[in-house]
Amino acid sequence: MEENKFGKDQSQYERPNHPYRCGRAILWQTPCTRGPATGGACGGTRECTPFLKNDRWECRRDKRFGGPCEEGPRPNGECCIQRPACTPHSSLRIIRGRVTLLVLLAVIALIVGSLGLDSHFNGLVSISDAGPLSKSHIKFTEKQGCNACHQVNDQGISGWVKAVFRPSNLSDKCVTCHSFGGDSSVAHNNNMLTDKKVSKTQCVMCHREHSGTSKVTRTLSSKQCNSCHKNKFESFENGHPEFSQKYPYFSRDTIKYDHSSHLNKHFSNPKFSDKAPESCVACHTITLSDREIKPGNYETICANCHNNQINKKELIVIRLPELLQNRIDSSKLIEACNFPETKMEVEEEFLSVSTEQPALVSAFLLNFSEEDPESYGKPLQDLIMSMAEESTTSFAELIDNQTPTPISENLLAGLNPEVMKRAACAWGLNREYESPADPKYGGWYADMLEIRYKPAGHADSVAKSWIEFALAVATEKNVNGSESRAVAMREQILSVKDGVGGCIKCHAIMELKDTKGDSYLTVDWNYKNEKKQPYVKYKHENHVNMMGESSCSSCHVLNKDEGYMASFKEYDSTNWVNNFKSINKKTCMQCHSEDEINMECQACHIYHLKPGFKKNMLAIKAEPIPITP
Amino acid sequence: MNKQQGFSLPRGWGYASLASLIFISTWAWAVRTENSLGISDFFTGWVLFFVIALLALFGARKRLPFLPLGPASRWLKIHVVGGFMAVFMFWLHTGEVWPSSFYGQLLTVLFYAISISGLIGLLMETVFPSQLTHTKMEVIYERIPKELAEIRNEVEALVEECTKKNASSVLAEHYLETLRWYFQRPRFFMSNIYGSEKPQHWVHQQCMILERFLNEKECKYLDKVYLLAEKKRKIDFHYALQKMLKTWLLIHIPLAGAVMVMVFWHLMVIQVFFV
Repeated sequence: MEENKFGKDQSQYERPNHPYRCGRAILWQTPCTRGPATGGACGGTRECTPFLKNDRWECRRDKRFGGPCEEGPRPNGECCIQRPACTPHSSLRIIRGRVTLLVLLAVIALIVGSLGLDSHFNGLVSISDAGPLSKSHIKFTEKQGCNACHQVNDQGISGWVKAVFRPSNLSDKCVTCHSFGGDSSVAHNNNMLTDKKVSKTQCVMCHREHSGTSKVTRTLSSKQCNSCHKNKFESFENGHPEFSQKYPYFSRDTIKYDHSSHLNKHFSNPKFSDKAPESCVACHTITLSDREIKPGNYETICANCHNNQINKKELIVIRLPELLQNRIDSSKLIEACNFPETKMEVEEEFLSVSTEQPALVSAFLLNFSEEDPESYGKPLQDLIMSMAEESTTSFAELIDNQTPTPISENLLAGLNPEVMKRAACAWGLNREYESPADPKYGGWYADMLEIRYKPAGHADSVAKSWIEFALAVATEKNVNGSESRAVAMREQILSVKDGVGGCIKCHAIMELKDTKGDSYLTVDWNYKNEKKQPYVKYKHENHVNMMGESSCSSCHVLNKDEGYMASFKEYDSTNWVNNFKSINKKTCMQCHSEDEINMECQACHIYHLKPGFKKNMLAIKAEPIPITP
Repeated sequence: MNKQQGFSLPRGWGYASLASLIFISTWAWAVRTENSLGISDFFTGWVLFFVIALLALFGARKRLPFLPLGPASRWLKIHVVGGFMAVFMFWLHTGEVWPSSFYGQLLTVLFYAISISGLIGLLMETVFPSQLTHTKMEVIYERIPKELAEIRNEVEALVEECTKKNASSVLAEHYLETLRWYFQRPRFFMSNIYGSEKPQHWVHQQCMILERFLNEKECKYLDKVYLLAEKKRKIDFHYALQKMLKTWLLIHIPLAGAVMVMVFWHLMVIQVFFV
């Protein structure tokens, strides 16, 4: 190696940060010793700058470049070695600086340009667009663009500068469209710890946008649930609390349907086996069902076997009982009933045509003992007389006197006044009333010694009204001592065997408390939707589709305990026995366990309370159709 | 040559361990934040920003050699380790390899480009200096034109002398037809970069092919020309490798500027629209 090659006397100091390079070196010729000037001019046109000393020009060539030349400077002081000037080129460092500046300007121009062009190209070249939205958001933000969520977007530079120092709350924008069952800024939209101060939540804590149409905005994981919940556990299999004792049957059925007796007894009976459903899904529709599986309606699943039982169970509101003496004024009766004089036959000794007891309804309304002819003789014959004179009016008044608001219109709906009058006229004569025709299609009619109501079919409004009336009056604080008669009437109307329409055979009666704390009885006529667990979800459809229609019994195991129907005898709906055994954690763990099916919290739980959309989201503004002449 | 110069990977283990520790801590913190319903992107984003800023400071350090900021070799190690850390931190921050937005894609392209150029630069900085040392010659890049001109003049003087003293133009004709092209400027650029032996074979062939046409005296001149051709070949090798070592920064530094602009834009957009 040439050790002294780079010595201070052998070579000059190279300055890599010099902005120019010798033009001759660029062309691979011998570069000049002096190199280009700082300003970019060629410095190599002469070898040195001679120095005037004692009137003589001296060569000043550096000894690194050979020292003073032999020829020496010219008489005019010019260097004797002259070369044509070269064109120095920029050094690599300068070129790098220029390229860097150019790239910086290009990027800045791209940012500024795209901001200006953003609206013209519908965001295609947007330098501030963080990416496409999810499938659920991309459509409705189409027209408004970024402004749909980011108000600051169209506020110009001043708005942007202000926004830097102002916290932005995107969650406020979310709730302009999304609605919840509670405060959107509280965990689960429901402050369950009212005694403690809980921190506010934001939508962006769990939901992220701008990840593309193929991704969902929801990213909540089980670990995130554990971050707030006090009871932390690893997975459904490891640590999840056992289900509650009655899960998932939290309240007594509103329709008494004994699955056990139907499946094991009635459906196997040769008389009904041809009408029996093939599987659970024949009665319970699983299509589009979530957690709750509604049974089909009465006409679809019950009527086939039970329809002809309804109109067999009639209501008797008035019955002519055995009377000890005739108290009816015959002249008034003749006048009221428009009888001829000859119709009245004078009996030496009164012998009542009836040997029956009065109906419990009339016993309650007239407040007499149905077992004491002395007690009911006069009021009942007065009623008969008024019925002969005014038909239904007096009876309706008796009903309306029992309730705060008149309801006789509902109870006596469809009752022909003439029927009541004619029956009263016959009974006034101590005769049985002969009905001109059988009530084939149900309704009010008088027959022999009774005014009866025959339900027309399922959901008969008159029958329902009488049941509701019986339930209402039996709990009234009766001041005139008729409470026991009201209860007796109620028990007859609600009787599974003899009650009107047999409604109570299937519809459960329950005791509830009103706002004052007083208890009252009511009938839930319709199937009751279970909504006690808003944070739990379960898709029956998915499970049945996967496991087959016969798989219901894998989770829903019949409770053969006969207490199911017995528990309906009590009106207390909190004390009951379910038709099926409770479902416990092990049932689900048959499939939802390690290495099998998803066990994330979100598989069964919903974070939000009643998530939905606000009305303004659902309003679709129709575009006006242009009318062409 | 001073052993402190260049990048020695084993000596960077300390920095690599520190970077790994910072990355793992950031990752753990990000996971914890996400699990606590927090937004980890802010935290990872700021860490990434500071790492990128540290990388950019290396350029500033080179422009301020008079300040007592530690040796450049240490800064290079920090720069290299920080560069690798920045790539992983970028993936941790974005959560994806390729974003879907134009803005994100532009930033990602620039970031990947600077990372790849940095990686190539690191490879060159690691491999080329040792290869240059093996030539047993030191040449200052800026002086290569002068060195080549001197060799060329020397060769031409030899050829002229040979022609005059031996009254034979064989060597001169061969020089004018073949060797003159070689001595004009650096040749075999790509071959030198790939470490090919093509230049060596070419020089050897062009000199040996003439040997049988020359007499003994001429052969002595040819030997001298061959030695100068070999010296020139080594200078060519230096030229090719040193040019690569200098020009890769022509890509890396402008990209660094572009990334920094986009990073500041990204910060502004996040601050305006999200925070």
